Amino acid sequence: MEVTSRISTRSQILKGIQPLIGLVVIYVAFAAASGTFRTFDTAQTILTQAVILGTMAAGPTIVLISGGLDLSIGSLFALVAVVIGLMLNAHVPVAAVVVLSLAFGAACGTLNGAITVGTGIPAFIGTLGMMKVYRGIAELLGANQDMSKFPDSFQAIGAGYLIPISIMVVCFLLVYVFLSRTKLGFNCYAIGGSNEVSRLAGVPVKKYYLIYYTIGGFFVAVSALILAARLNFTNTSWGNGMELDAIAAVIIGGTSLSGGVGGIGRTVIGVLIVTTLNTGLSHLGVSSSWQRVSIGIVIIFAVWLDVVQRRRELRA
Amino acid sequence: MKKLASLALALLFVLCAAGLVFAGGTGEKPAGGKITIAYTGFPGGQTPFWAQMTEYVKEEAAAQGVDLIDLSPTVADAAQQKDSVDNAINRGVQGIIIGSIDNRAFGESLRRAAAKKIVVVAVDTAIDDPQVTALAQTDNLASARVMGQYIVDHVSTKGKVLILGGTLGHQTGDARRDGVKQVLEANGFEVIFRAADWDAAKALEIATNELQANPDIVAVFGCWDPGALAGLSAVKQRGLLGKVKVFGFDGLPAAFKSIKDGELVATIKQDNKQMAQVIVRSVVAQIKGQAGVKKLLIDGFVIDQSNVDQYMK
Repeated sequence: MEVTSRISTRSQILKGIQPLIGLVVIYVAFAAASGTFRTFDTAQTILTQAVILGTMAAGPTIVLISGGLDLSIGSLFALVAVVIGLMLNAHVPVAAVVVLSLAFGAACGTLNGAITVGTGIPAFIGTLGMMKVYRGIAELLGANQDMSKFPDSFQAIGAGYLIPISIMVVCFLLVYVFLSRTKLGFNCYAIGGSNEVSRLAGVPVKKYYLIYYTIGGFFVAVSALILAARLNFTNTSWGNGMELDAIAAVIIGGTSLSGGVGGIGRTVIGVLIVTTLNTGLSHLGVSSSWQRVSIGIVIIFAVWLDVVQRRRELRA
Repeated sequence: MKKLASLALALLFVLCAAGLVFAGGTGEKPAGGKITIAYTGFPGGQTPFWAQMTEYVKEEAAAQGVDLIDLSPTVADAAQQKDSVDNAINRGVQGIIIGSIDNRAFGESLRRAAAKKIVVVAVDTAIDDPQVTALAQTDNLASARVMGQYIVDHVSTKGKVLILGGTLGHQTGDARRDGVKQVLEANGFEVIFRAADWDAAKALEIATNELQANPDIVAVFGCWDPGALAGLSAVKQRGLLGKVKVFGFDGLPAAFKSIKDGELVATIKQDNKQMAQVIVRSVVAQIKGQAGVKKLLIDGFVIDQSNVDQYMK
């Protein structure tokens, strides 16, 4: 009994470290190959470019560990962005825009959770439906609106390196504390491991799911706020396919799509792998079509590693 | 878990530190003083106009003896294009040509480019920023007025005209809409405008619905040829070919073929080759310290059955 648990902890740690090794290898390889890549400016740019994907991926990390799935976050991203743009157009004070858009994102997350756990519809279908709903509402609200040229105090949220990167780090720390220090966080793993067992053990599974999805919606809003401030405009076509980009980053980091296994540290690594690949390849003059191909291969490779290790564990 | 998170956080710092360590060799300056410029345009996979533009820009860069890096994104995502500009700045190029997906997205990147004395110019779509020192584009408003007059001359019954537009707030698309709209309304036509976000699938959907809802539509104008051809498909599907006349803008090979087949009535030919040549020459001249072209408006002209053969290869 003792022996098995020790082996599994060790292989757990090993599994967590592999993506990290991958990231270091990728970074060093690009640094060796390109003189312009191994500069402080480029490192800063990689971190800044990671901010939107990173804050966005914080939510799916929790939702995937709990065994859930939210496909609507890309469309929700657009809807929150439009709401931000409309509020700023209406001269709502910047502080209020920030608070209200975060609350709005969180509320939409709660709605996603309610639809999934309340009706018993599979999360894939329920949130696929909401993906269409949010996109449609974003288009309705944003049609014929020029949402741009925001106040300087709002633009400051996304300006330069320091503020956006700090916001991302704070988001990661919050999720880290949530997953490792709170009852809700522990139970996230338990529910993801086995929904049924957790329920029998007295965990209020449905209520907890609502909270996980709510947190997911909150981080979508954080991400939308930063991008709106960075680009100084918003429109209804934002976030197309971003739900899959975020899920891909989480999975590349080593969080399991089937729930119960994962962590925010892995997501950080997954996000950095994706961003470093994109930036590095563009420094080498590789077209963005090939960048997509390479990300695709990395996803398959990462999950394949996971599958192989699981098989080996079962045999042991 | 704890170990993993601390590892990951440590890595954030490692990345920065690695950057610092390597920073000693801040970028390779191009050998022998050869000029390197970057180009980031609208994804060519989505519209042939931009695929041609990329080729023309590359050709002209080669002709001028400068290195060109193509950083165009594959999808029409303004955030990705802004990233490509940031990457170009880090790569130490001397000039950047932007064919913008959204002309409002670049403020902060342009200030970074200014700090590094990188020349930034725009092609096709204006970017309203003092750091952008040159623009080559079709005179969209004037050319659209020419098209408006052409529609007035070739559509005998006064009724509704459907305009399939680009992305709302996009300078190019708005100018084309406004040019056509002004002339049509001055001549007693009623205009229905719908933004189709430069997306042909969306244009087809909108045109189908509008034709159904408004039987009195007499003509369709697409602000870009793929959109116009999508409008044409909708007209054909409803069996209205010949009754509802369709007009485009861009001058793409597919539009020429359709005009020759007697389906699309006319399009405006944009001279994207001249645009590419002018803007590359301008950016190179500015890098060399000469004054480049500040703003060059290139006239478009009508292509219809009378002259289409001259432009088909």
